[in-house]
Amino acid sequence: MRRHGQFDACEDAVQEALLAAATQWPENGVPDNPRSWLMTVANRRLVDEWRSESARRRREENAAIMELPAKPQASADDDSLTLLFLCCHPALSTPSQLALTLRAVGGLTTAEIAHAFLVPESTMAQRISRAKERIRSTGARFELPPEADRAGRLLVVMHVLYLIFNEGYMTSSGPVLHRADLTAEAIRLTRMVHRLIPSDGEAAGLLALMLLTDARRTARTTADGSIVPLAEQQRSLWNAAQIEEGVALLTRTLGTAPVGPYQMQAAIAAVHDEAPSADETDWPQILALYEVLERVSPGPVVTLNRAVAVAMVNGPRAGLALLGTLDSDERMAHNHRLEAVRGHLLELAGDPLGARHAYLRAARMTASLPEQRHLTLRAARLTEDGPEASVETGGG
Amino acid sequence: MIMTFGSAEGALEAMGREWMVEMIHFMQQLDEDLKKSGELVSAEGLADGSQAKTVRLQNGIPVATDGPFAEAKESLVGYWIVDVESEARAIEIASRIVAYVKAPIEVRRVMDAPPEV
Repeated sequence: MRRHGQFDACEDAVQEALLAAATQWPENGVPDNPRSWLMTVANRRLVDEWRSESARRRREENAAIMELPAKPQASADDDSLTLLFLCCHPALSTPSQLALTLRAVGGLTTAEIAHAFLVPESTMAQRISRAKERIRSTGARFELPPEADRAGRLLVVMHVLYLIFNEGYMTSSGPVLHRADLTAEAIRLTRMVHRLIPSDGEAAGLLALMLLTDARRTARTTADGSIVPLAEQQRSLWNAAQIEEGVALLTRTLGTAPVGPYQMQAAIAAVHDEAPSADETDWPQILALYEVLERVSPGPVVTLNRAVAVAMVNGPRAGLALLGTLDSDERMAHNHRLEAVRGHLLELAGDPLGARHAYLRAARMTASLPEQRHLTLRAARLTEDGPEASVETGGG
Repeated sequence: MIMTFGSAEGALEAMGREWMVEMIHFMQQLDEDLKKSGELVSAEGLADGSQAKTVRLQNGIPVATDGPFAEAKESLVGYWIVDVESEARAIEIASRIVAYVKAPIEVRRVMDAPPEV
């Protein structure tokens, strides 16, 4: 997004989406006491004259901040950032980037990393040493990437940190400490990046997203490791301090830098986290934020999540219609999530039999055992004398 | 190795929801017990048979087709590898499992004996 040609086009798309959303949102229902992330982004955009000279100058300043002028003495901070860039070198495969980052910059031992990724220690040790060798063979030196590459390489770094976070967050079968270590490491390293490059909106957005998501972790599984979807979670178990920090970070960031996918995802997480109960969730705002996200970072998973928001605002059939557009998408062909969401929406639409079949199809496709059990049990609920009274909204 | 066969869906169809809930709790308890006793080496659940691919030679060329090798209901779906004092102990563990799963469990030794030549 920081290459100047694409930058303008991207900003146009965001501008359009925001204008559309800002018009529609009041029609769909303005909550009594709105904290509107949408308006925060929209207002600053509409007020700022992004096409004006002052805005252009501001963009150039932002780009210059990324240049990180050479200091007479290398500081520990510079070294950490340099190391992070190296560990996420594009010559490495993604699993190697993750492993090397956790080993060299993160505080984990090879054994801990092996445990986290469920491979034998010797396998992980080999993966790490081969990764180091690979970097050596590219001739890369211990210095920051060339200025022209830096923004792009930073995106790779953030993607790696995002994957580490997800690895830790998604595996929630009981009190497995090494997994919690992964989310903690991801947050710690993202804090460092944000501290070292404070002008980067996406780094701040990513940190906010991690905090706002991790805040819900305790409520996400029961003691025996079963998954609790977002709508059913005990919100008193959410970490209020993390939510506060994430919200504050987002407030400081939105509108000061180009809007990107991490910031948008963080805004959506913030809307969820700020709702005192599932029923009080501001779904129209979430829908509008997804519409902007889809412009900024289109893809089938975003569409999938948007379909849930569409269902909550315009009814389950509307959400199902949107899912239909994903049926022919190759990328979703072997993805259980499409069927899982379809099952959920069919349940909301009052089609328990259709929902059951969709949940069972999803259960067949998932490679996560806790998830398979969850989906099979949801299907099971729908076979006995019709569906149970409590229905769920949203996914955790 | 202690092996279970079939599919989650097939089991659900046959046995119903309450059984499924009890079965999940049992599996978690069993894993805990085997860890505590030091007998658990590893345990895995396999993805549904519909996600498997079977690779065969056809006219001398390896060809992959969708689906498991065995019939769905007889297809491997999970296993425990346990380190136990005797075969009798392995059968005892399997007996606990079959009481819940209600489908045949296979117990088979992993070749771990040293050569005696």
